[in-house]
Amino acid sequence: MAELTLVDAVTAALDWELGHDESVVVLGEDVGVNGGVFRATNGLQRKHGADRVIDTPLAEAMIAGMAVGMAAEGLKPVAEIQFMGFIYPAVDQLINHAARLRNRTRGRLSCPMVLRAPFGGGIHAPEHHSESTEAMFAHMPGLRVVIPSSPARAYGLLLAAIRDPDPVVFLEPKRIYRLARQEVANDGAALSLDVCYTLREGTDVTLVSWGAMTQETLEAADRLQAEGVSAEVIDVATISPLDIETILESVARTGRLVIVHEAPRNCGVGAEIAALVAEHGIYDLKSPVQRVAGFDTIMPLYRLEMDYLPGVTRILDAVHVTLEG
Amino acid sequence: MKTFLLPDLGEGLPEAEIVNWHVQPGDLVRADAPLVSVETAKAVVEVPSPYSARVIRLHGDAGDFVKTGGPLVDFELEAGNGDSSGAAAVNDGDAGTVVGTMPVGETIIVEHAVAGGSGRRSGRLRATPAVRALAKRLDVDIETVAPSGASGQVTSRDVEAAAQTSTATERIVADDEWEALRGLRRAMAQSMTRANAEVCHATVFDDADIDAWEADQDVTLRLLRAICRGVAAEPALNALFDAASMRRKKLLQLDIGIAVDTPAGLIVPVLRDARVATLATRREELQQLKQAASDRRLGPDDLRGSAITLSNFGMLAGRYARVVVVPPGIAILGAGAIRREAVAAGTEVAVRRRLPLSLSFDHRCVTGAEACRFLAAAIADLQLQN
Repeated sequence: MAELTLVDAVTAALDWELGHDESVVVLGEDVGVNGGVFRATNGLQRKHGADRVIDTPLAEAMIAGMAVGMAAEGLKPVAEIQFMGFIYPAVDQLINHAARLRNRTRGRLSCPMVLRAPFGGGIHAPEHHSESTEAMFAHMPGLRVVIPSSPARAYGLLLAAIRDPDPVVFLEPKRIYRLARQEVANDGAALSLDVCYTLREGTDVTLVSWGAMTQETLEAADRLQAEGVSAEVIDVATISPLDIETILESVARTGRLVIVHEAPRNCGVGAEIAALVAEHGIYDLKSPVQRVAGFDTIMPLYRLEMDYLPGVTRILDAVHVTLEG
Repeated sequence: MKTFLLPDLGEGLPEAEIVNWHVQPGDLVRADAPLVSVETAKAVVEVPSPYSARVIRLHGDAGDFVKTGGPLVDFELEAGNGDSSGAAAVNDGDAGTVVGTMPVGETIIVEHAVAGGSGRRSGRLRATPAVRALAKRLDVDIETVAPSGASGQVTSRDVEAAAQTSTATERIVADDEWEALRGLRRAMAQSMTRANAEVCHATVFDDADIDAWEADQDVTLRLLRAICRGVAAEPALNALFDAASMRRKKLLQLDIGIAVDTPAGLIVPVLRDARVATLATRREELQQLKQAASDRRLGPDDLRGSAITLSNFGMLAGRYARVVVVPPGIAILGAGAIRREAVAAGTEVAVRRRLPLSLSFDHRCVTGAEACRFLAAAIADLQLQN
């Protein structure tokens, strides 16, 4: 079994699906000859041909629009947006067309497209290259939003996203693209969408996160263990639709919830999770839900970006607040 | 297999001449270790290895020219680093991103991710944090409260009902009806509630050895005299305290409250101007005061103004008690039942009569040392023969 980085796993999943489903098409800026800004599509054009792995002009609205058209006509396009900060011209196509194609045609057409985009901070990139705006997409009915946090889930969830008959926004945490390796059986096996992944079982507090922040969350869980506090760690993985049942079950056991995300706090996905737990799980809570999030400011440039990203200390502080209850 | 291409050495030159190799085919080389020295137009520079890997082949010998971007060294990488799938990994010398710095780690993730949760819901208690806080405030163990909520949750009413159970039990045994507290009992409820909410009680316990007492000693008078001695030693105990204005009033005259148990309830008449010299002559007056209290013939002024109170509860039962200070008073001395006790007398064990004492004081106004000085003087006096 090969040990792959997260970005290797993306490449491997794309490679597998291009090789096994001829309706799959990869498109985006520099995905072909160049192999992608993060090398996620490296070698795919050489192997699968220029009509399957297509270099597009620098025009995100067109990339998304082409993908909608291809999907409506029976292909399974996997489009890449180079950075989340450049995704906004494509949002019109996503919201006004991809998300509603099934509804608009009363089920006659679906839109089996995937829009991949690296997101999040921590790589010392310039302005527009570090934001986490997943909540925007999670807010849109008709879009599925999936975020892997390990090579194994990048592989399995991307395959599931490509095979899903409806549009998926697949956000890749670029800070951990090459941070670690994991054994991944390159066997074409998909993982389940729309479910959380429990990374660690615990009894005293539930820590919920996704994407790159799972790293700090797991580290916080280690530190808590040293303090004698048993933390359950859940990777949400599919931000929308939310598998709130798994989180509620966990909170029913631990009585305490801390949500960790890199995106700003205001109207972040953490707010939705906290609201759902308030609606359905308040009787299980021993103390108020805590959110550890990015600050409600413009993402700072790289000298300050590690101050912006929630660190282990902030997570521990929030956990200690819940333990008072 | 991976081929490392000669990078641009920073001078924009199209080629470089190999001076000498630092590695041979078959060598294991570490990342950043020198591979080869090449001569450019200006200098001889070392080219570091981009990988920790085994060298398979060197493209060229000393004296050969290598084109910038042309093959330099073939490496054999570990499994997972290679491009055997045909979807090639990162190009040589590639940072893996066009902007910023891509963090690269060597950690191998081992995780046991489970889709969904364990599916287990505990049968744990359900209650809102507010109800849990209410239970804490009312000193109710919420785990023992039967839930009545529609979702199986303990409600605030459940907690409030549980909080009343203890008083309700007493009521059910005594009577079927609730009875409004009146008179002395009501006054006690009010003053004790206030005392408990306001006073910072500290209580110190000790014993007076009264084995030497002569036969005719009056316990109450001896206790009153002990208080006189205590106040003489530590006048700070004879003061009234007004918490609202943060003021105290040191009293020149020693008035002592005396807790009296009456059929109507607790009443505390005040013995004015207690002095060591004259106490023995006031036995009759003391009896009359107690009688007047029992008969409810005392006016409010007869019950006011004492800084310190005596509670001789030991006449009934009890050894020590956390006796309660009622503002504006600041101290109360409780006397427990006199008993014979086995105590150490030198290296022997002796049986002696002992009088247990409990001194509560309002720690907002009285220091621990003041209280103890008072108590020490009182005990010393109590241990006298007569």
